[in-house]
Amino acid sequence: MRTKRKLSTFVQGFIIINLLWYGLSIFMNLRVLPTPFMVYQKISLLYTDKIYQHILVSLYRVLSGLGIAMILGIGIGLLIAYSGWWNKLLNPLIYFTYPIPKTVLLPILMLLFGLGDSSKITLIVLIIIFQVIVSARDAVQGISQETYAFIHSLGASKYQIFIHVTLPAILPELLTNLRLSVGTALSILFFAEAYGTHYGIGYYILDAWSRMDYISMYLGVVTISLVGFALFIAVDLLEESVCKWKQ
Amino acid sequence: MLEIDQLKVVYTSNQQSINALGPITMSFEQGEIYAVIGPSGCGKSTLLHVLGGIIQDFEGQVDFNGDRLNANKYAIGFIPQNFGLLPWKNVEKNCLISLKIRGMAIDQQVKDRVNSIMKRLNIHNLMNRYPNSLSGGQRQRVAIARAFSMNPDLLLMDEPFSALDSLTREEAQELFIDLWNEYKVTTVFVTHSVEEAIYMGKKIVIMSHCPGTIVEVIDNPLFNHMEGIRHLSEGTNESLRDSEKYLKLSAHIRGIIKRGWKK
Ligand SMILES: Nc1ncnc2c1ncn2[C@@H]1O[C@H](COP(=O)(O)OP(=O)(O)OP(=O)(O)O)[C@@H](O)[C@H]1O
Ligand SMILES: [Mg+2]
Repeated sequence: MRTKRKLSTFVQGFIIINLLWYGLSIFMNLRVLPTPFMVYQKISLLYTDKIYQHILVSLYRVLSGLGIAMILGIGIGLLIAYSGWWNKLLNPLIYFTYPIPKTVLLPILMLLFGLGDSSKITLIVLIIIFQVIVSARDAVQGISQETYAFIHSLGASKYQIFIHVTLPAILPELLTNLRLSVGTALSILFFAEAYGTHYGIGYYILDAWSRMDYISMYLGVVTISLVGFALFIAVDLLEESVCKWKQ
Repeated sequence: MLEIDQLKVVYTSNQQSINALGPITMSFEQGEIYAVIGPSGCGKSTLLHVLGGIIQDFEGQVDFNGDRLNANKYAIGFIPQNFGLLPWKNVEKNCLISLKIRGMAIDQQVKDRVNSIMKRLNIHNLMNRYPNSLSGGQRQRVAIARAFSMNPDLLLMDEPFSALDSLTREEAQELFIDLWNEYKVTTVFVTHSVEEAIYMGKKIVIMSHCPGTIVEVIDNPLFNHMEGIRHLSEGTNESLRDSEKYLKLSAHIRGIIKRGWKK
């Protein structure tokens, strides 16, 4: 039922965006702003231009970055929440580095890790991980002492308390954070793929742009948007299966 | 038997120490049900938290059947004021969690027991629901079922009925007494209501202002005799005599309250 409703919202949004796009392109009548039909007619480029390869490369970069950032970030966030010692050590570091715009580190990362995927993935991780650490820490610290009273009265072990109370209590916040991170990761991806690669949907768009092949460029934009949307749906499905009790 | 010796609890917050409870010395007998009544903030919840192993930082000693009261060793059923159900577990899993955490095997016998308790409390048709979707009365019954399902050595309840409206409350109290009469678990519960203390407590413990000490422990002659008073239907001689006793007892307790919770 929920998926059906989401799907219809998606279709509605898709139609509205395309109508706006169509209206604007008719109104402006520029070569750089083709109508959606002109773009969709060239959909076969997906195959002949090997766009799907670019998508796969981009997905690999985004998912690796997201995965590493979430796992490390949640781990470090829990460490800080549970241990005063780690909190003392890491808190100043996080506080100090939080406001630095980490995209400026890309040249340094490329010098250190080379032009390949690792520097791009590292950039994604570096940007996302801080939010994840902070939100995991805050989520754990936000659980009221009352929530634990019952399980303490059963003489539960630390591990049991974590599995039955702490983890399920912070899951909704972690998923909200994952959703935000997906958006952030895709934007960073576009920036990172501007340099030192011939693969990735970001590269594809920029390359088409420089060749003034506007139809391909728009097709790239549509494709990366759909990838983003698919990732959003994936987070939704995850949320629905893990946080059943919230509905 | 549950024995408390010179129990004292001090909280520290903002580098100030607050003497919240005691010193208290008292013993609770096996198979009895104690109603603890006292002014707000006198340390009733604190006392329950000590008995439930939730507060472990206290002065004095708490012994159960001759050795230290220990949440790992004895099954303690604790029902906090907000019922303490885990929102991410459905009713069935909430009822079984105590068993699971204590490492008790969930075999057919246990399942039958839990099932029959759930039927008694009329929540067996809610098995797959999550606590968020239940009414206050339903949640409370789930909490009671959860506590009874592990066959506790000691049952602790913090104002178990105060969150319910008066009709639901009476029904829940009756259900509880019914269940209790079957299992006879040693029970300590906190209440704000004189009527509830007399209806549900075999012994009534009256506490003083903060830091709470024990003013008086009353043997309640009316325990299990309240049906006649509650349901004024039968005007028998016995229920008339009980009514008199009830008025005397509640006047006595109210007198202590008027004197500022002093004897
Ligand atoms: N975590 C805490 N930190 C500091 N002081 C506390 C804490 N919890 C309780 N207290 C204090 O200890 C005293 C006893 O509190 P407690 O909650 O046991 O009272 P109570 O008798 O249960 O009150 P009520 O009937 O209102 O529930 C109060 O004066 C309260 O302010
Ligand atoms: Mg209280």
